[in-house]
Amino acid sequence: MTGANDRPPGERSQPGSTGRRKVDSAFDLWLQRGLHKIFDDVANEPVPDELRKLIEDDREA
Amino acid sequence: MPNSFHDQVITILPKLRVQALALTRNRAAAEDLVQDAVCNALSAQASFIPGTNFPAWMHRILRNRFISNLRKRRDTTDIDDVPASTFATEAPHEDRLALKDLGKAMTRLPADQREALVMVVVQGMSYEALAEATDCAVGTAKSRVFRARRQLEAWLIGDTPERSDDRAAAARASMLSRALDAQIADARRGHRVA
Repeated sequence: MTGANDRPPGERSQPGSTGRRKVDSAFDLWLQRGLHKIFDDVANEPVPDELRKLIEDDREA
Repeated sequence: MPNSFHDQVITILPKLRVQALALTRNRAAAEDLVQDAVCNALSAQASFIPGTNFPAWMHRILRNRFISNLRKRRDTTDIDDVPASTFATEAPHEDRLALKDLGKAMTRLPADQREALVMVVVQGMSYEALAEATDCAVGTAKSRVFRARRQLEAWLIGDTPERSDDRAAAARASMLSRALDAQIADARRGHRVA
């Protein structure tokens, strides 16, 4: 595994066959986009009122 | 006062949610976990040293709370018995099936690998930041991301790339490649229109 985990997925450029690099690169890009599709909605949801109130109440205390 | 402790808590909430979902694999549990972590952070704010790494401090609180909850529930709940629909998405195109596979595969990864992969790939965290946020060595952080990515590739493409003679693996790699090309073409068309 020397060097194979030195870069985050999506930035890989490992020595080896061209075919393997193409598959790795395609998979990394696909994985990156797929994970963003799954998790971005969650990150972009508005902060629940209850949680915001909890923080603001503590700020004022 | 900008960048006060409370402002920093509000700013980091989206990232905490992503971390919580990666750990719990369940949206409702993730919301509860974020709320618990925020409560813990507010109670412990006196122990935070201004000028030090607030995101790492906050991510560690959430992680410790997750581990603590896990220990409490272990006697009664099988943490791995989570519906595969946990990471269900509303993807509109033909890649919905592949995304569904990805969601299922994510639920099968160990929690620490899933968390590491999401924090690096989705949140763009460096390995050093990941190590600080998850209280481990940089080498461990790298290894978790690498193993997660490798395992997903094995499950989703069919095998590790060494077995390139595997027809199913080649076919799935080709499918991924075509889906990617289509997405890139869509993105380029979008840019031109914009």
